[in-house]
Amino acid sequence: MAAMTRRERILATSQKKRGDRLPFFHWWRHLQIGGAERECRNRGMGLAWDRPCYVTKIHNVVITEEKNPSRPGVVRITYSTPQGSVYMDEKRAPGTGQWHEQRSWKDVSPWAIKRLIREPEDYEIVKYIVENTEYLPDYFPIEQAKEWVGDEGVVLASLHKTPMARLMIEWIGSEEGRFYIHHKKYHDPLEDLYAAMCKSMEPLYEIAAKSPADLVWMGENTEGLLVSPPLFEKYFMPVYEKCARVFHEHGKMMAVHMDGRLNVLKNLIARTPIDIIEAFHPPPMGDLPLNEALAVWKEKVIWIGFPAAIYSLGSAAVKDYTLELLSSVVPGDRLTIAMSTENLVTDEHLRLLTSILENAELPLTEEKVERIKSSLS
Amino acid sequence: MKEETKYLAALKEAILQMDYPLVVKAAKEAMEAKVDPLRAITEGMSPAMALIGEKFQTGEYFLPELIVAADVMKEGLKIIHPYLPKTGSRVGRKLVIATVEGDNHDIGKNIVTTLLTVHGFEVIDLGIDVPAKKIVEAVKEHQPAILGLSALLTLTMLKMKEVITALKEAGLREKVKVIIGGASVTPQFARSIGADYSTTNAAEGIEKCLEWVKSQEGR
Repeated sequence: MAAMTRRERILATSQKKRGDRLPFFHWWRHLQIGGAERECRNRGMGLAWDRPCYVTKIHNVVITEEKNPSRPGVVRITYSTPQGSVYMDEKRAPGTGQWHEQRSWKDVSPWAIKRLIREPEDYEIVKYIVENTEYLPDYFPIEQAKEWVGDEGVVLASLHKTPMARLMIEWIGSEEGRFYIHHKKYHDPLEDLYAAMCKSMEPLYEIAAKSPADLVWMGENTEGLLVSPPLFEKYFMPVYEKCARVFHEHGKMMAVHMDGRLNVLKNLIARTPIDIIEAFHPPPMGDLPLNEALAVWKEKVIWIGFPAAIYSLGSAAVKDYTLELLSSVVPGDRLTIAMSTENLVTDEHLRLLTSILENAELPLTEEKVERIKSSLS
Repeated sequence: MKEETKYLAALKEAILQMDYPLVVKAAKEAMEAKVDPLRAITEGMSPAMALIGEKFQTGEYFLPELIVAADVMKEGLKIIHPYLPKTGSRVGRKLVIATVEGDNHDIGKNIVTTLLTVHGFEVIDLGIDVPAKKIVEAVKEHQPAILGLSALLTLTMLKMKEVITALKEAGLREKVKVIIGGASVTPQFARSIGADYSTTNAAEGIEKCLEWVKSQEGR
């Protein structure tokens, strides 16, 4: 039987079918094009590329950007509406838009140093912006990516964070516990804005579902410390249910970026209709062992993000960790490995992981893992 | 005395209920009734906060409850503080804490800060994105028993090493225990940069800090 393509392998596993080998891939945004990348891709490393599926129009809102010479690197973005104006300050630190330490220019975003919502009166203005936001399908980025990627991997239609994740992480922010304090002090306007966001974002789900992408991806950055179980149950699960209904009607799988500590949420996550837990980080960065996650999420597929903390310990640690990880998950079903969801990976580590994963034939057995280990020494 | 107990109970209840207007009312009434401000804090509000901290550590409460309760207590303290005689934290229980340069994550740091305060520490919180130089200056100025460094990202945790190197250069390293925290830190990493302890868990970090200061207090 001919070997599966990298694309077939990732898709088969995502549909809970067993492929010929354990799929492994690198995210396009972290890919270092060159010798090691070409070599590893020739040896089975796939590609995953998340692309936008829509464009946004905001009506009756004037958006301006202003730089202040006394605050170098800080840009104030003001949204002026008939209801009043709100602003946020972004720090575009050295490295933003450029190669920067272990991250590429594709992944260094500005740093919000003043959030959009700070005072109770900001809620009504932001609600106006939300209610006047229109989403229009634009599938060109996905069509183009699919053509470029071909059989080498998969293309995902990327969506905004869901409404409450956006409020917590982006618009209100969690610094100094601000989100929780607002949730308590300004409960009604916050709920009101949340409801408006849910309504405004509904068309997006259909746009993503109808896109030519292989899967739909939601960049939630779920972290169990930040999102407590009661918050997850109240504000996140109903949205996931709504999204999944729309995606599944159009034959699309739903992948959600959950890269934080998930132990406290594991039973609730099990109850969601999410198909793929993407960016799952096993310990030491996450707090839920991979075998336990697979056991508790029997209906789900896990795409792990290889923990960057292990890379920082050197090649021997990377090798030992990966072999132990494989041993812990035999027979290796419902699992895909991303080389990193955070940083660039050194050529040495990319080749080392490939040396292990290219030989991870499914179903995995202890003997096969042992054989891989021997082949490395 | 009985009257005073009533006010202390009201303060405790306001924090347990995480109720902003109620804590303001309870604090005002307690001060108007000439309740000892120190008792209002140590026997009214602090036990409630300790209870909430305990529930957080056992998983009954989560971060929102911990943060909101601490913020409610802050509101009450604003009213009580002007009535307080000048007093300090327990001798030796002083800690400087910061999220290192380049990192703007402060959830873990804030949990630790809240829980340490509950345990009688004076915490000097330098905030987020703090350069090594500023941390060293704070250690020099405040002479804490412990320095806590936080970073979430694998990129920024490397800055912790810069801080420890700068402490050594300033001749301060042996005068302060260094604990590092954040999702990416490991004991191996702590050893490699010369930190005394690493943790990804706030409760465990508090235990270690208490162990250190108690050993000093016992001398």
